[in-house]
Amino acid sequence: MIVVPCPNCGPRNSGDLRPAGEVVSRPDPATCSLREWREYLYMRHNPADWVTETWYCRGGCRRYFTIERNTATNEIRGQEAS
Amino acid sequence: MSEITMKSPVDLDPLSASDGNVTLEDAYATSKIQVRAGAGTIAAALLSVSYGSSTRNDAGDLVCGSRPDEWTIYGDPGRADTIAASVPTEGFVTVIDITHGRAMLRISGSNAASALQKICNLDLSDELTPNGAVFSGSLGGVSCDWVRDDQSGETSFLISCERSFGKFLFIAVADACIEFGLHVPAGWELHGH
Ligand SMILES: [Zn+2]
Repeated sequence: MIVVPCPNCGPRNSGDLRPAGEVVSRPDPATCSLREWREYLYMRHNPADWVTETWYCRGGCRRYFTIERNTATNEIRGQEAS
Repeated sequence: MSEITMKSPVDLDPLSASDGNVTLEDAYATSKIQVRAGAGTIAAALLSVSYGSSTRNDAGDLVCGSRPDEWTIYGDPGRADTIAASVPTEGFVTVIDITHGRAMLRISGSNAASALQKICNLDLSDELTPNGAVFSGSLGGVSCDWVRDDQSGETSFLISCERSFGKFLFIAVADACIEFGLHVPAGWELHGH
């Protein structure tokens, strides 16, 4: 179990939340290349290190927020509402 | 058009442990009004109670801060229209009667928290969920909205979920109460005790 701190609900069991993955910036679909769009949709860095990711508080306040999580240790720091 | 009669997904008389330390009852008929109101609206100012807490208003209804910018008002059966009409709808506000869309149960007694604790991952201690606390989280795998609403000084929780999960939730909670002496009628137990 990972305890994830929601900015509204406080520490929550990750089972009550949904990880929405690494924060990625969305290119402009009108001007970007197909490769850039595909990379936005499917490609992730997935390092064994600190990652900024979005979580959805599914069982609680139903808000999105971002945290920094170390994917190797599950240590969490820096939390803010999206 | 003929009147549609809404029926509880549970429809069972209250169950009680022989020592009275845990009781479980269907509270489906409770009037339930959901209000979403943006900051700065009259409704938000009127309801005012912050996310995570609740208060009883002058009419005796339980006003809960259920989520940021969202409130749920619980009242006696048959009061939904009156409650809904009492909320000012100027601005970015929606008021919805969710009475029939949500199942609801009340579990009370000194063993209530211990029974619930078996099938949820929330900390139901007095420190984190004191009387009046409003929170959401899964119970028996079902997404639920909770209010700690003590009755005459006795621990009590009002718990609601989507109507279609109501019977399952009731059975799951009843099952968790069996070890605390709750007598569960045949057909309402989970594991065939
Ligand atoms: Zn939350």
